[in-house]
Amino acid sequence: MARDALHRPPRKSLLSLLQPYILVAPTLILVLMFNVAPAFRTINDSLHKPARGLGAAGKPPEFVALGNFQDLFDDEHYMGKRFLRTLRNTIVFALATVGIGVPLGLLTALLLNRPQPLLGVWRFAVFYPSLLPLIGAASIWSFIFSDSIGLANAILKTFGHPGLNWLGDRNLVLLSVIIINIWKQAGYFMIFFLAGLQNIPRDIYESASLDGAGPAQQFAYLTLPLLRRTLLFVAVISFTFAFQTVEQLQALGEGGPADSANLLLYLIFQNISERRNWGYVNAMTIVLIGVVLSFTLSNFLLFERDETDR
Amino acid sequence: MSHFYVIRRRGADALKMAIAIFFLLPLFFTALVSLRPETEPVTNGNIFFGSEITLENYRRAFIIAPWGLHYLNSIIFVGGTLLVQLFTVTFAAYAFARMRFFGRNFLLMAILLQLMIPSGVLLVQNFRTINILGLFDTRIALMIPYWGSAFGVLLLRQTFREIPIELEEAARIDGANLLQVVRHVYVMNAIPAYLAFALVSVSSHWNEFLWPFIITRSEEIRPLTVGLNKLIKTTDQGAFYGQLMAGTLIVIAPLVILFIVFQRQFVESFARSGIR
Repeated sequence: MARDALHRPPRKSLLSLLQPYILVAPTLILVLMFNVAPAFRTINDSLHKPARGLGAAGKPPEFVALGNFQDLFDDEHYMGKRFLRTLRNTIVFALATVGIGVPLGLLTALLLNRPQPLLGVWRFAVFYPSLLPLIGAASIWSFIFSDSIGLANAILKTFGHPGLNWLGDRNLVLLSVIIINIWKQAGYFMIFFLAGLQNIPRDIYESASLDGAGPAQQFAYLTLPLLRRTLLFVAVISFTFAFQTVEQLQALGEGGPADSANLLLYLIFQNISERRNWGYVNAMTIVLIGVVLSFTLSNFLLFERDETDR
Repeated sequence: MSHFYVIRRRGADALKMAIAIFFLLPLFFTALVSLRPETEPVTNGNIFFGSEITLENYRRAFIIAPWGLHYLNSIIFVGGTLLVQLFTVTFAAYAFARMRFFGRNFLLMAILLQLMIPSGVLLVQNFRTINILGLFDTRIALMIPYWGSAFGVLLLRQTFREIPIELEEAARIDGANLLQVVRHVYVMNAIPAYLAFALVSVSSHWNEFLWPFIITRSEEIRPLTVGLNKLIKTTDQGAFYGQLMAGTLIVIAPLVILFIVFQRQFVESFARSGIR
């Protein structure tokens, strides 16, 4: 009642009717310009081969339906070969981030959840990597993994191992990139688990230990089930983020050798200014959007709805 | 029982130590290598310090890239982005929180599309849009895709809704107009949410690389991350890790310091940023 009176001035001027739209317009226009419209243009351009020649003299873009996608999924095609390898890498990269980074985030949260001396220092130690620019993190690790003078090999050598070519061996580069990403992200995941653990009432642990449940049982039968939602949420965001995390490659051999550690968005970036690949670049973006959209959408439907309706 | 407890506690401490070493070692060695003479890599004898502590690497890093200029550019990029965001986000959040209008939910959903299709993956088309607009290699081009923020709208809308409507009614009775209401009732009572939004916005744009790299060409406007890239590419040819680590520290230092100062706020803000 009060709210209605508040927003219904005695005489409805045009201005007051338009007011909400004016307030919303800047954000709306920007989102339409830089998120929605480009998404539709990506669809359109992914179905065409780029125009040859420039301006009026050149041929218009040729409609090829799903031709670009056929090429991308063709292992014999020059771009398909790169795309398929890169897509495989990206999936391995994302799964490894979720499979190792998320449990590591949970483990650190469990260790740092109780009051203890130097808590701020411990938290800093785990969390600061997630504040670094990816390219800076990668630059640090490019030294650690460097062949002749790197720290990783220096440590291996003290154990009598000859050392590994972390960033040059095509079987190892992706592993190196994964290690760096886990190092970078685990602290970010930890924060969500810390928040989730805060919501679990203390007294249920007390009654559990009175009933004789040991720490392992308490973890398996209390903590884990109660953190299920947080766990799912973190797994989904870490998987989606992994598809957008590529800047580190700039300092780690640019996805090479032979695309052995290339990632999808980075492959797109590498081909952005090559005119003949315009159709492919857009088709690859469609694949990327498809993955990101489906995961964020499911995340949104699973979790954010309760928040926005509250 | 208590004996077992002690063992368990010791085990947890050891695990904690191992994890902390894994996370801190890279930063520690970055600092060490940046202060060692370039001619003495860590594998030469003493792993910690070289024959002397030197700032030579920093001097050389400064020859390769104008860090002062890059700092200024990063500050302008991040500050300009945040400044405009504060306005767009506040207005939209107020409308969605407290006004009734036709199509409200539909328009909110349209804005939330940004969370589902982040502009990072739309590199290709946004690059083209900027070129069509004639904004290539300008500061505006760096910032404009981020001026609208669905995350900010969602965060502040939620906060605004928790502010008692009676405060707004009282202000209206006192004759406050819309802008005054928004400023004195809503903004003033949502400072923690603004701080959270600012920390997330600043730290994510400070770290941005691909977009600034693609959309600019002149060193005069390029941010720190692009300067670091130049240093990386220079180092590639001769493995001058001392100067690379010096440059890396120059780039990451402000955020690390900011985090030490605002640790609690950072942790709380990032906990709310999953929807970013």
